[in-house]
Amino acid sequence: MDAAEAARILDRERERGSALVRNARTTEDLEAAQIAILGRKAPFSEVQRALGTMAEDDRRAIGRVVNETRAELRRLLEERRGELREASDAALLEADRVDLTLPGRRLRTGSLHPLTSIQYEICGIFERLGYRVVEGPEVEDPWHNFDALNIPPDHPARTSMDTTFVEVPGQPDLLLRTHTSPMQIRTMESQPPPVFVVVPGRVYRNEEVTAKNMPVFHQLEGLAVAEGITFADLKGTLETFYRELLGAERRLRFTPSFFPFVEPGAQSEVSCFVCDGSGCRTCAFTGWIEAFGSGMVHPRVLENCGYDSERYTGFAFGGGYDRLAMIRFGIPDIRMLWESDVRVLEQFEGVA
Amino acid sequence: MRIVLSWLRELVPVQLGAEELGDLLAMKGAHPESIERPWAGLDGVIVARVLDVRDHPNSETLCLARVSTGSGEQEVVVGVRNFAPGDLVPLAAPGARVPSLPEPLGARKIRGVVSNGMLCSPRELGLSQDHGGILLLEGGPEPGDDLKRVLGLDEVVLDLEIESNRPDLLSVVGIAREVAGATGLPLSMPDASVDESSEDAATIATVEVKDAEGCPRYLARVIRGLGDATTPQRVQARLTAAGARPISPAVDATNYAMLELGQPLHAFDLRRLAGPGIVVRRAEPGERLTTLDDVERELVPEDLLICDADGSVAIAGVMGGATSEVGEETRDVLLESAYFEPRGILRTSRRLQLLTEASIRFSRGTDPEGVGPAASRAARLMTEWSGGGEVLAGTIDVGAPPARRSISVRPARASAVLGYDVSSADMVEALARLEVRAEPAGDEVRVEAPPFRPDLELEVDVVEEVARVQGYDRLPATLPRIRQPGSEQPSYALRRRVRELLVRAGLREANSLSFASASDLDLMGHGDAIPVANPPSGDQPFLRTSLLPNLARAAARNADRGIRGAALFEVGHVFRAVDGVREREHVAAALWGLAGEGLYADDRPFDVFDAKGAVESLLHGLGIDGWGIGDAAGPPFHPGRSAAIVEADAVVGTMGELHPRVAEAFGVTGRLAVFEFDVDALAPHVDATVAFRDAPRFPPVRRDLAFIVPRETAAGDVLDALTDAGGELLGRRTLFDVFEGGSLGEGEKSLAFSLEFRAPDRTLTDDEAEAAVAAIVARLARDFGARLRAG
Repeated sequence: MDAAEAARILDRERERGSALVRNARTTEDLEAAQIAILGRKAPFSEVQRALGTMAEDDRRAIGRVVNETRAELRRLLEERRGELREASDAALLEADRVDLTLPGRRLRTGSLHPLTSIQYEICGIFERLGYRVVEGPEVEDPWHNFDALNIPPDHPARTSMDTTFVEVPGQPDLLLRTHTSPMQIRTMESQPPPVFVVVPGRVYRNEEVTAKNMPVFHQLEGLAVAEGITFADLKGTLETFYRELLGAERRLRFTPSFFPFVEPGAQSEVSCFVCDGSGCRTCAFTGWIEAFGSGMVHPRVLENCGYDSERYTGFAFGGGYDRLAMIRFGIPDIRMLWESDVRVLEQFEGVA
Repeated sequence: MRIVLSWLRELVPVQLGAEELGDLLAMKGAHPESIERPWAGLDGVIVARVLDVRDHPNSETLCLARVSTGSGEQEVVVGVRNFAPGDLVPLAAPGARVPSLPEPLGARKIRGVVSNGMLCSPRELGLSQDHGGILLLEGGPEPGDDLKRVLGLDEVVLDLEIESNRPDLLSVVGIAREVAGATGLPLSMPDASVDESSEDAATIATVEVKDAEGCPRYLARVIRGLGDATTPQRVQARLTAAGARPISPAVDATNYAMLELGQPLHAFDLRRLAGPGIVVRRAEPGERLTTLDDVERELVPEDLLICDADGSVAIAGVMGGATSEVGEETRDVLLESAYFEPRGILRTSRRLQLLTEASIRFSRGTDPEGVGPAASRAARLMTEWSGGGEVLAGTIDVGAPPARRSISVRPARASAVLGYDVSSADMVEALARLEVRAEPAGDEVRVEAPPFRPDLELEVDVVEEVARVQGYDRLPATLPRIRQPGSEQPSYALRRRVRELLVRAGLREANSLSFASASDLDLMGHGDAIPVANPPSGDQPFLRTSLLPNLARAAARNADRGIRGAALFEVGHVFRAVDGVREREHVAAALWGLAGEGLYADDRPFDVFDAKGAVESLLHGLGIDGWGIGDAAGPPFHPGRSAAIVEADAVVGTMGELHPRVAEAFGVTGRLAVFEFDVDALAPHVDATVAFRDAPRFPPVRRDLAFIVPRETAAGDVLDALTDAGGELLGRRTLFDVFEGGSLGEGEKSLAFSLEFRAPDRTLTDDEAEAAVAAIVARLARDFGARLRAG
């Protein structure tokens, strides 16, 4: 084989090789093409073998062409191999495609009751302010529920019209607490000042079930007694609480009110968190949402618990949070809080 | 308290509108419940003069009235004929609106004759209940005048919520005093002057008070020869707006004076009294009296009565009797203005369930010094409105008002309670605004409580009064210094954790009332429930002893509403009559229906193992791991699918499926898997610490072993023995299959475990693992007759 023929063969093989590579449709085609182009029996290998028989100059010139041709063909083979792998991966992945609009696999999810969730939120705020959360019994005696709270024996709240009584032999006049305020007394009876507690819990009023009222509902009570506690502290505490709960822009309206166990007494309202006071359904178009009843602990109440009412002053506040849960979550009928309907409960999966 | 604004403005010249006044009063503690315009629905009704009246051509009862409107004439069809030419009547011409009709009037044909509007009765105008005829207007209005202006029907009424300790605010004067105090405007008291005749009232009537404690003061006036005019229409309209029903000048005057001054008054028809001698005494046992509302009342000795020679004529401070009631024909009146001891009135009115305008005021405390002016005011109005009569000279005044209370107040104390500086001068100034006399005396201020303020008793009451006058809006907002970190009572924190774990286990928190029915207790087998004396709902007359009945019913309710599965829990108090009251905190759950729905669900109902799974998650989460399964729980449970939960040899809870008959009784179809714990009983076993073990660094040797054991063998016992025999090298062990039948013999089952063996310090050899397996196989063979299943 002379140099001219070798050059011709190489030229032809380059053409033929690139066509074979180009036409390979599978990796198997490509393996066969590689053997046909660069294999031991391929013309290219023959040229390679013939190099040894050529003159020095020819060998050098043809040798260079051989190297270039091999590199070129290998490059084409690699390129095509990559293309074919990509295509086959793509086909496999395409076959693996799923419909991602199908639902995900979820663990069964539970949910806290909205009343619990609002309770935790409220108590959490007071805990951050330094209060201790305590709880007390729902069956109470008249001393803790009424007498010690300066509620006189003939007060209307003490009749069976308002109060639910239970019958326990040997313990007359036991009742279901009508408010969480008896825990003011129990707390003060059990410890010396300073006292900073909040008390969430169930309370009872002898009422018919309606869209707005239940015979059982939930209250939060707060009590702060120490030296130097002032009425201004009460106002600031409630203002801070409602801003934490309903937003920093909330305003508190603090007005005189009467409860036998506080003096001075105050009612509070907070500007509506939905309309910010301009009036909407949530606030019954008043711009205000009723907030805690409160006041300075009546000196007689402090004395009833053995506290020195000259040395210590304190404030107390309290109110129901069922309605707060309703307006917070937009629940239109209070009975929905009591029916344990799964379709209602499942809406609170996202509420901590 | 309904405050008619025109009335208020007669006593204090305030220019504020209703909304602003409402805000002002709210800041003083009298919160507006509503602002009403009683005649907002009345518009365009004018005064018309009747020109002539003729029969309706097609009706025997109707007539046709031609009226002049000042600028023209109209003919209207009328159903009554109580008017004559020359009378002034209200005409609602087409386009006018009256409160009794939803739409503006139009001209319409009545029996063939066009009626251009209508003439109105007092009831149609919302003036009173009188519907006997067309309103005949008094005074000198001109045809064409707007009726609203003529009768003062532009009224605005502020309905105020009055706190029970402020009876003085149950009057126009009381509210006017607050407005005057807040605005600095002068308060003018209503005219209570009377022209007395020369005859002395005391010669006509006598008063004897036999119970000075119940009736510290009783004052009477005598009015004779009242005229027969009716109460002026403007006054009637005002009374209606204030919520009182106009009746006759004598009654209207007492109501008017009461609403104005807060002192309830009672007018007796002097001629209907048996003798002119009034006696105030306690009721005799068994005494009866028929009150104005025609109800016969049985009285008890604590009731205070007003009596004449024949017996009782009124229940003091609550309601008058029917026999001495004043009527239209009444000419001579004995007018009672008394001060009754508040608690006695409260007891009587509550026992009789008679809440009247009088009893509300008396039971909260009226002004003992105000009885005289109130009697004079009413006597004056009565004679003025009836158009005649004489007020006899003097009053019959028995008893005396109690001495005014004197209260010492320290400005330093006021500052300490309120949180801002209050000087004695500030105090005196503030109190003077509400007619409370005060003067500095050394470090104190000496305050005299006015007789109309029973709420001012202690130093702190006056402190509140000062803050109230100065305004709560002026109070600074500060926070107390709390020198303790926030915290939770351990039982509260535990319950919180319990809820969190159950929610994490996929349960939804439910909420139910705290009561139980007799059948709940029967089904639960609880004989020691606490009865409720006055239960809110008659079919649940006990306190709940368990959370399960309500949860079971909740499951049934969900089923009724087409829900296919529910996993509910509740945390709450239950009550038993054990050593008095045993009130405990429980947690319970009920799982019913489909365990899952949808694409990936395996379409099976909840059963006892779902309940057990939740129990496992709960107890493990509380760090309680040594617990065991005790005996079947007994009624109301399924005997073969329930167990006590035992921790440290004590039963801390129960779990299982309810007995199918019990579930059915609660309305549940299908398995109802439940558990219930006494959270308080769990508390001592809770362990929140983590005993940390290094994560294994060497790979485990895994062996899956299936043992054939007698069918009645408890898997838990096998696992316990296996754990014991496996020794230190045995790590994770999982029961992964339970199998019966197939190639197994009768009465046999196979339990398959996946076991991991490992050592903390080296890779285990096969020989070591085989030795451990051999020990397990030998142990199970010995204890249970277990043999390894081939394969």
